[in-house]
Amino acid sequence: MCVVEIEKERRPVPACTYPARDGLVVETNTERLERYRRQILELIFTEHNHFCMFCEASGDCELQKLAYRYQMDNVRYPYTFPSLSVDSLSDYLVIDHNRCILCGRCIRACSEVAGSHTLDFSQRGWKTLVTADLEQPLGESSCFLCGACVQACPTGAIFSKLSLYKGKTDECQQVKTVCPACGVGCELNVLVKDNNLVRIEAPGLTEPRGPLCRMGRFGLLEPTPPRVTSPLVRGKQGELEECSLHKAVEVIVDGLAGVKDGLAGMISTRVPSETLSLFNRFIGEVIGSDSIDTLDGESYRIITEGIRQFQDNGRGLDIECPIEGILEADCIIVVGADPEKTNPIISTLVRRAVSQRKAKLIVVNSSRDVFPLWTDLWLKPRAGSEGDLLSGLARILIDKGLVVSGKASARLIKSFSRYGIGEVVRTTGIEKERLELAAEMYGQAERGVIIYGEELLRTNDASSITTILNLANMTGNQVGDRLRVISLKPRANSRGAWEMGLAKGIKRGKLKGLYLLLADERDSEELLNRLKGIDFLVVQASYQSPVTSMADVVLPSPIWAEREGKYMTMDGRVLESKRVLQPKDGLPQDQEVLTEISRRLGRKLS
Amino acid sequence: MSFLDMDEILIDLANVIELTASPITDIKEFSPVDVGIIEGSVSNEHDEEVAKNLRANCKILMVLGDCACFGGINSMRNLFTIEEILQRYYSTESTTKDSKIPSSEDIPPLTEVKPVNQVVKVDCYVPGCPPSAKAIHYALTELLAGRIPVLPSEMMRFD
Repeated sequence: MCVVEIEKERRPVPACTYPARDGLVVETNTERLERYRRQILELIFTEHNHFCMFCEASGDCELQKLAYRYQMDNVRYPYTFPSLSVDSLSDYLVIDHNRCILCGRCIRACSEVAGSHTLDFSQRGWKTLVTADLEQPLGESSCFLCGACVQACPTGAIFSKLSLYKGKTDECQQVKTVCPACGVGCELNVLVKDNNLVRIEAPGLTEPRGPLCRMGRFGLLEPTPPRVTSPLVRGKQGELEECSLHKAVEVIVDGLAGVKDGLAGMISTRVPSETLSLFNRFIGEVIGSDSIDTLDGESYRIITEGIRQFQDNGRGLDIECPIEGILEADCIIVVGADPEKTNPIISTLVRRAVSQRKAKLIVVNSSRDVFPLWTDLWLKPRAGSEGDLLSGLARILIDKGLVVSGKASARLIKSFSRYGIGEVVRTTGIEKERLELAAEMYGQAERGVIIYGEELLRTNDASSITTILNLANMTGNQVGDRLRVISLKPRANSRGAWEMGLAKGIKRGKLKGLYLLLADERDSEELLNRLKGIDFLVVQASYQSPVTSMADVVLPSPIWAEREGKYMTMDGRVLESKRVLQPKDGLPQDQEVLTEISRRLGRKLS
Repeated sequence: MSFLDMDEILIDLANVIELTASPITDIKEFSPVDVGIIEGSVSNEHDEEVAKNLRANCKILMVLGDCACFGGINSMRNLFTIEEILQRYYSTESTTKDSKIPSSEDIPPLTEVKPVNQVVKVDCYVPGCPPSAKAIHYALTELLAGRIPVLPSEMMRFD
């Protein structure tokens, strides 16, 4: 379709393959070109099997739009009717080869945007097809389900099962907001029709935070557990029964009176800062408790303790670099983290750095290689010995002179010299040569990034975080005054809540009553243990779950799409989210519920 | 249906058009006319004969709808052999027991499904599944004005 006429060329040529040069006279829109383009369109329509009348993309299809534009009201060539398959085995995606025009956009998106390169052409000539890996079904391939291909596809050849026939683009409202799925803070373009979510797209597919992932593009559209649609309190038989907000608040006020001293508040960090701040004041000023935590507060306390031991100047999380640092990296160490599970965009950026910038990738993980196709070196320490491994790396860096002079203080060198390499080898179970190789890769890097997360934090060892910071500092792996270190934060507003002081921690000893603002958390099973033995439990949640069924009082709460407010990304940017869906009729907002309880307690929630 | 969607315009059209043969009149022989209109794809020998017969008797042949213009949804049949299609239609669970594929000299054999222009020369096309009443009206108005209609882009529809 990109044929153009060029002066002194006998035939029209495809613009995309014709080298530009000075003085070139190009005609892009002549009668002859119009004729040629229409002819090309007719040939495209005969090549595979295009049936607009039942295609999901009809109305949103670039091929169809071009056919309309060039008034293609008939096709002068016989159709080929090739026998082509449909691959619908993937969780979210369908590839219908019948509708594919082999433009290759999905392949570029998969390789350049998603850093995955699962898709590519197979076969040749008229047999050419877009396939996953070595002609694997997509569901069994190396696909990460990021959906960049769906957005790139100009026809209905790759589409999402979750958005199928829910609405055409021009029937939808489009709202730009912030992804609530993790701490990266991607921008979402949400398409909504009749107050229902239709589709989620990336407004800037090629931006570092642009591609979106399975959690943002698809996870948010997945069927949800049943909503909490009304306040619930325990009835006479001990079953949860629906009641008015008035009645629920009455039960809460009574219940709070019964557990006066041992009261605490806990909140999900999926909610915007406005809600966090309100909750902070509710627990502090209205309930009068200084026992407050976020669901992920433990991670915060370990990270900040690690940072404090490294440098006690109050900079806190600002010592870390922005996630864009991953894209410029020439060496990446991923330690005790599975970004594909917790923050998939981070893993996209890692793959892109490896495939596009030839960055070296070292995975430190006691159970599995989290980047199986991309890793240069997988160090598999014995569980719990990650800290020793990191210290061992520091020792080798010092021994090999791979540290920037003046960056490693005598005290630091002395403290690392405690780690004899033999001992590190024994504790971690990793050969000396592999440790040395890792130290060399990282030590020689100019822009080496260390990423750590959940699994390292679970070891409860703040000193390993200090060691990571020391590693980055003494090798000069920094950008400006920030070290090239990134801690993965699990939820959309984890950092916002932490910096607001909500992750103080709860004193377990005298905990008797808990007000838990769970919002739209889905996987709350791990909470069950933490909630055992609490006398009075109020849960404010969007969805029914094992946690709500443990509660004495359940209150409704909006889901992400029904909220608006500020979020702080894991690297400290403040983003504004917009309301996408109108809350269901009569469903009280968090603010209403908290204000009502405060009023009944005779206090004002400022 | 889309044709009937022209509503009151049909009355005006009736005053200027003489309808000599149509599914409404059930006249099967064509006498020479100015304009012939074919709807539907050519999917058996009978269709082909009708198309050729009409072509021979009209000055301008217009085809109406995606099936006539492109083959349409019928042409999905071409992805299978005619035997497979007949087997599927007459031997699935939904049909009566011991059913067999009907065969009689009176039943025209199925052929590959084709758009009309692969069988006879076509002068103008109104695609759409169905074409909008507006598009049909436009085409007829152009014909009445003595022009060969070409649908403008905004009236084009394939669904």
